[in-house]
Amino acid sequence: MLKRFTEDFKTHYKYAFYSARAQLKAEVAGSYLNWVWWVLQPFCMMIVYAIVFGVMFSAREQYFTAFIFIGISVWDFFNRCVKQSVKMVKSNKSIVTKVYIPKFVLVLAKMLVNGFKMLICFAIVVMLMIVYRVPVTLNVLYVIPLLIDLWLFTFGCMCILTHFGVFVEDLTNVIDIVLRFVFYLSGVMYSISHRIGDSYPLYATILEKCNPVAFVMASLRECVLYGDTPGRKLILLWGLISVVISAIGVTIIYKNENSYAKLI
Amino acid sequence: MSEKKYSIEVDNLVIRYRNMKKFSIKRQLFQGGYKKEDYFEAVRGVSFKVEEGRILGIIGKNGSGKSTMLRAMAGVFSADEGTINLHDHSVSLMAIGVGFQKELTGRENIMLSGMLLGFSEEEVHEKEAEIIEFAELGDFIDRPVRTYSSGMHSKLAFAITAIMETDIMLVDEVLSVGDQHFKKKSYKKMKDLINDKHRTVVIVSHNISTLKELCDQVMWMHDGEIKMLGDTDDVLDKYEEFMA
Repeated sequence: MLKRFTEDFKTHYKYAFYSARAQLKAEVAGSYLNWVWWVLQPFCMMIVYAIVFGVMFSAREQYFTAFIFIGISVWDFFNRCVKQSVKMVKSNKSIVTKVYIPKFVLVLAKMLVNGFKMLICFAIVVMLMIVYRVPVTLNVLYVIPLLIDLWLFTFGCMCILTHFGVFVEDLTNVIDIVLRFVFYLSGVMYSISHRIGDSYPLYATILEKCNPVAFVMASLRECVLYGDTPGRKLILLWGLISVVISAIGVTIIYKNENSYAKLI
Repeated sequence: MSEKKYSIEVDNLVIRYRNMKKFSIKRQLFQGGYKKEDYFEAVRGVSFKVEEGRILGIIGKNGSGKSTMLRAMAGVFSADEGTINLHDHSVSLMAIGVGFQKELTGRENIMLSGMLLGFSEEEVHEKEAEIIEFAELGDFIDRPVRTYSSGMHSKLAFAITAIMETDIMLVDEVLSVGDQHFKKKSYKKMKDLINDKHRTVVIVSHNISTLKELCDQVMWMHDGEIKMLGDTDDVLDKYEEFMA
């Protein structure tokens, strides 16, 4: 299976990149401001969050706007990817029913689209850090393994949901509810360790360490904004778990992908 | 005597569609679920071989399993039973409305379709101008495909698969796209492609005169099975008698 995956990846990764580039262009093609929206939209969102949470709810976290923006960037990436994966095969019907393409390539292309948007958000985080004069330490390098964890975990989830999305009609509704629940549990808008950890330290540890999205979010904030070292063992553990989930996802897709065209 | 070299070998091919289509939680919980093993067999134990460089025509009434079989040969469907061996040849399926992404421009779709057919970015770039010229789309090539008329859509689809030549071409009812002028042009192009003695072609069509002119042999499919396979004139005469 690994051999097939590697070969398919080699022959199709360029397609995934080209397709992602074309999708990004198509998203803004009809608008007046065109690609400016890729920067303008997250920038405006940042201002909204800064006003709502920073001023109206007087949030107490240090560098709050950057804090919240890291959460939003990671969450938006995960949320968009997972939601889109449920309809992945159906939304690519015109391709899937006409030509063979390894279906994980469609997943990769979508991840690249959302990954690009996340990178723009991170650029805004960097900008905010300059404004706040956040001291940067070498711990900032932990961003790389953390993003690899996030990428692998999201890829695994997407592959599994891409498969079940073909067969289970109501999966979109279920996933919407689950994602909303995970959103509130992941500490996108607040710090789990401060808000929950002060009163219920055990629950806070469970919430932050057993949920990879919350873990990546909290660890990114730790290493980027506060110069701390995130849990290295957990980074490794979640990396390994994500590889297993991805392997399961790709195997399920490989076993069933040639039936998808019959069902959509 | 030299041994025959086959491009396509199909052995006992069976393709089934599940009638129950999809799983719904609501239906499962409140409407007593689904019946098990509810299948429809679109192709039932079909076996045939096509020699390299030959042209096989497939005819049969609607719903006889022709397009399903073609799509299985293109790798879109997997065989539920039996095997399809294309001996590592590259294959493309020419069908009406080939996989375009509607929000993207014609030019971008050329690149994506070419890459999906297994060509590199450079190879598609090399052929891009020829495809655009053949498709006669003018300025529309840089507009989103959703703005195309159905004729323009089909012309671009035909141009891509005709110019990006593969070893095996599977042609599904696309010889009548566009206006009279384009029909003539695509027919001529098709004949040129067929004349290449290394290219194997399978054509599905309801047009008897087209099949008579282009094909070396014809397969008549009926209810998912081969009713007759052999010399073009013999099979088509029998088919016409049957349909009369």
